[in-house]
Amino acid sequence: MPSWPSNTKYIGAETQRIDAPQKLTGQARYSSDIQAPGWLYGMILRSNLPAAKIGGINLDKARQIPGIKAAIALGDGERTVHFYGEELAAVAGTTKQACLDALRAIEVDATPLPFVVNETDAKKDDSAQVWQGSPNFSQPSTREKGDVDSAFPKCAAVIEGFYTTPVQIHNPMETHGNTVSWTDDGLTCWASTQGIGGVRDSFAGALQLDQSKVRVITEYMGGGFGAKFNAGVEGILAARLSREAKAPVRLMLTRFDQALAVGNRPSSFQKIKMGALADGTLHAFEMDNYGTAGFAAGGATGGGGSGVELPMPYLYRVPNSRVTQTVVAVNAGSARAFRAPSNPPASYGMESAMDDLAVKLGVDPVEFRLKNDPSPIRQREYAIGVEKFGWKDKYQKPGTSPGIVKIGVGCAGAAWPAGGGSRGTQAEAKIFPDGSVELRLGVQDIGTGTRTVIAVVAAETLGLTPEQITVRVGDTNFPWGPGSGGSTTCPSVSPAVFDVCNNALQQLQTLSGMADVRGDNWSAACKKLGVTPLNVHGQWQPGLSESHACGVQFAEVAVDTETGLVTLKKVVAVHDCGLIIDKLTLESQINGGVIMGMGYALYEERVMDNLSGVVLNPNFETYKLPGIADVPDIDVVLINMPERGVIGIGEPATVPTAAAIGNAVANALGVRVSSLPITPAKVLAALGKVPPAVTT
Amino acid sequence: MNAFQYATAQSAESARELAGARGMYIAGGNDLLGLLKDYLVPAPDILVNIKTLPGMNQIQRGDKTWAIGALVTVAEVEDDPDIQETFPGLHEAAAEIASQQIRNVATVGGNLAQHSRCWYFRQRDTVCLKKGGDLCYALNSDNRYHSLFTGNTCISPVVSSLATMFAALDATAVVLRNGQETRMSMNDLYHAAWENPLAHNSLNAGDLVTRVEIPVARGRSTYMQVSDKHTFDWALVSCAAAADVDGGKLSSPRVALGSISPVPHQVEAANAFLDGRTLDDATAAAAADMILAGAKPLEHNGYKMPLAHALIRRALSKLVA
Repeated sequence: MPSWPSNTKYIGAETQRIDAPQKLTGQARYSSDIQAPGWLYGMILRSNLPAAKIGGINLDKARQIPGIKAAIALGDGERTVHFYGEELAAVAGTTKQACLDALRAIEVDATPLPFVVNETDAKKDDSAQVWQGSPNFSQPSTREKGDVDSAFPKCAAVIEGFYTTPVQIHNPMETHGNTVSWTDDGLTCWASTQGIGGVRDSFAGALQLDQSKVRVITEYMGGGFGAKFNAGVEGILAARLSREAKAPVRLMLTRFDQALAVGNRPSSFQKIKMGALADGTLHAFEMDNYGTAGFAAGGATGGGGSGVELPMPYLYRVPNSRVTQTVVAVNAGSARAFRAPSNPPASYGMESAMDDLAVKLGVDPVEFRLKNDPSPIRQREYAIGVEKFGWKDKYQKPGTSPGIVKIGVGCAGAAWPAGGGSRGTQAEAKIFPDGSVELRLGVQDIGTGTRTVIAVVAAETLGLTPEQITVRVGDTNFPWGPGSGGSTTCPSVSPAVFDVCNNALQQLQTLSGMADVRGDNWSAACKKLGVTPLNVHGQWQPGLSESHACGVQFAEVAVDTETGLVTLKKVVAVHDCGLIIDKLTLESQINGGVIMGMGYALYEERVMDNLSGVVLNPNFETYKLPGIADVPDIDVVLINMPERGVIGIGEPATVPTAAAIGNAVANALGVRVSSLPITPAKVLAALGKVPPAVTT
Repeated sequence: MNAFQYATAQSAESARELAGARGMYIAGGNDLLGLLKDYLVPAPDILVNIKTLPGMNQIQRGDKTWAIGALVTVAEVEDDPDIQETFPGLHEAAAEIASQQIRNVATVGGNLAQHSRCWYFRQRDTVCLKKGGDLCYALNSDNRYHSLFTGNTCISPVVSSLATMFAALDATAVVLRNGQETRMSMNDLYHAAWENPLAHNSLNAGDLVTRVEIPVARGRSTYMQVSDKHTFDWALVSCAAAADVDGGKLSSPRVALGSISPVPHQVEAANAFLDGRTLDDATAAAAADMILAGAKPLEHNGYKMPLAHALIRRALSKLVA
């Protein structure tokens, strides 16, 4: 079995992104920058009702708008709309304005139907039905271990809590969308996707094309977070418009669209009861949780489970547990895999309960975790974090911070069971006689630094510098690579690149007759190739990657008890991901994960309106994301574990942040805000300062 | 958006003429273009560029009165060292507005004339009271960002940070109406919205805000707001206060609040109560009680009561600090 070299120059060091100059100078072409010759704008008409019977869609007037080259309706004849923003029709035209005008000219025969957008309402017997004739919720699923009912009476302390998390929207900076050209020769799609292979296969499947006739290109893309794995309704529509208009169609969604129809993280409503024995050992856990994954309750997820069901009691060893979960349908857009599906809400519920129980037992929350967390890696990380954060000095009894602005601290642990390599990953290396090197992999860089990871591993293996490696990714014409999800890209590509580079060294040794072709000898060895470049294949090999990263995070907050404003002061994030490839992009991933977790804790929430059924905050004005003034000092501490091989970090980095912040706020106030996001309104309510509504 | 003509005016008179009955003025355009793109207001026939109007981008520093032209940008207000010296609250209010990019383009006139930010008004598919419908959705549904006071059945609050500060400074908007200069207090400028759900301010079609006049009467002023986020977010509640302070004693104090009423919320009785008093915690709290008396917290905006109370007390104590 191959193994990683032990003395390294680039692996584990800090390498700046090799494509930073292109990104900073605007030369990097993102999917939304592509201008294929003769391209048209494409746009989608969406339902302005949350539930309706559609009698028909008339496109005649839209087709007459000057500049409109194609118009199509989704579905023939009658159909039912299940959520506000559901796709009804699409147009392609020479200008944006022509398309906007055409959308307004489409006549839709729609009869409103009763709807429900609130998951608690949807559970009631008299609720409107999302799917007529079917109940809005599944049979609860129950997992049971030990004997919960007889376990609780043996506990020295028992807490009960109701912890809730909202629907969170992915909102990558680059919206969903594609430019698609579909001709008799086949289909080419420039996609904003995290899985070019998946997009190719979904086009081929939906349009009944040979997979060999579909090419998907993603040179640069601006984030996906789990919501961009397939062609999507918008991709298929762009293809059909292209076919009809006989021209490439660029159909990028708007920020408004993003809030409605291309995925979200499901909500959770976690009723938790938990008890521990007198020695601080967790003994009994009971949870009843429900949440919504939208109208299809997970049926239309683009890349994984809906994430309603939570892996409880999460990180902790509890001998007796009963976990009951219900997936509730509402008239709203479907969930999709979202950075560590199920884990951030599980972390929030469980870690909140952990702190509440620690308080009741009168023990330090870190000590309580160390007692009940079976992971030796997290045990190590807590020890490091306690030092780095200054936990022992900072931790005070809840609510004892003096003054109006109270300081509080909290912590939480992370787990991500996936994050290993994808076995089928392949790589190709071209070694040119002038010594230049090109690597081709059919993966995509979704912004995490995959190009740089490839360059680092290749440079290390060949004895060159990362700048000497030309990396090409994001094209299904290249050797197959996996979708970038589940924190798998780095552990997939690193072994494949290592393998192809070792193969290249071997072949070059044979061809050049030189015993050592690395480093200083590289140029001379390549010269001996004459005029024929060397083409080498490689693939993922076992023994070089692992799964299951851990991590712990500590947060310090200041809470203004008169205004309710929470200021996140500091986060210490202690993480492991096996063998570190590039420290800079790794730290960047963790910073991003913390900031996303901070948004989940304090700001983000899709707001549905009960009266009209619309999304009330389909923009960055009212769907609030952290800004630079909100972001705290983030201290990233890494444990390098080369013996484990490469492990992905994208997901674990965002898992515990919201829970740690929630615990810090509870520690500051002495009361818990048990519902995310923790807004000034909720803080003031938790402090009992909000007067009742005046009814007149 | 719908098609429109575009013209550039060289004088206030020609601007009025060009606009006609169904035209609109455009300066920074931050608010107007969003309204037009989302089809939230009746489409204008013509947009009249007023950025070229002479003299309207000046700050005039008089002994008794300052005049800030309507075309002065929010960033210019924020960055002007004399404003920071003379009207520190105005500097603070400008600095809280939106983002640097928006402040660079946004004008004082546009900030005052901006339309409702109510999320039902801004939602393209709801026809609320303000858009001529028959229902105030906010009143019956999610009103977390809405008013504690209103004179009608629309609870969309005024959100202009400058209006709130100008109210505390007792400033006057000078509006060109039918060829005549009309002078409006901040209360006058928004009064129509107090009474009429369809209005968001008292400006008629063709009215042009030319400048804001601020009396140099109060040596101390301050503005503070709390939002969900730390920057680039609308105020949940904002509070402006201004007064002369002599040995801890307030004279001619004025307090105004934003985001809790369709008009900058002012209670003259509270101003009178504070006048001549030495501020202490009890006095500040009593003033806050008076200012918030009669408020009608709804299902989701009751948190604005303690928040406003705190901001009033803090703004007053900052005045005398």
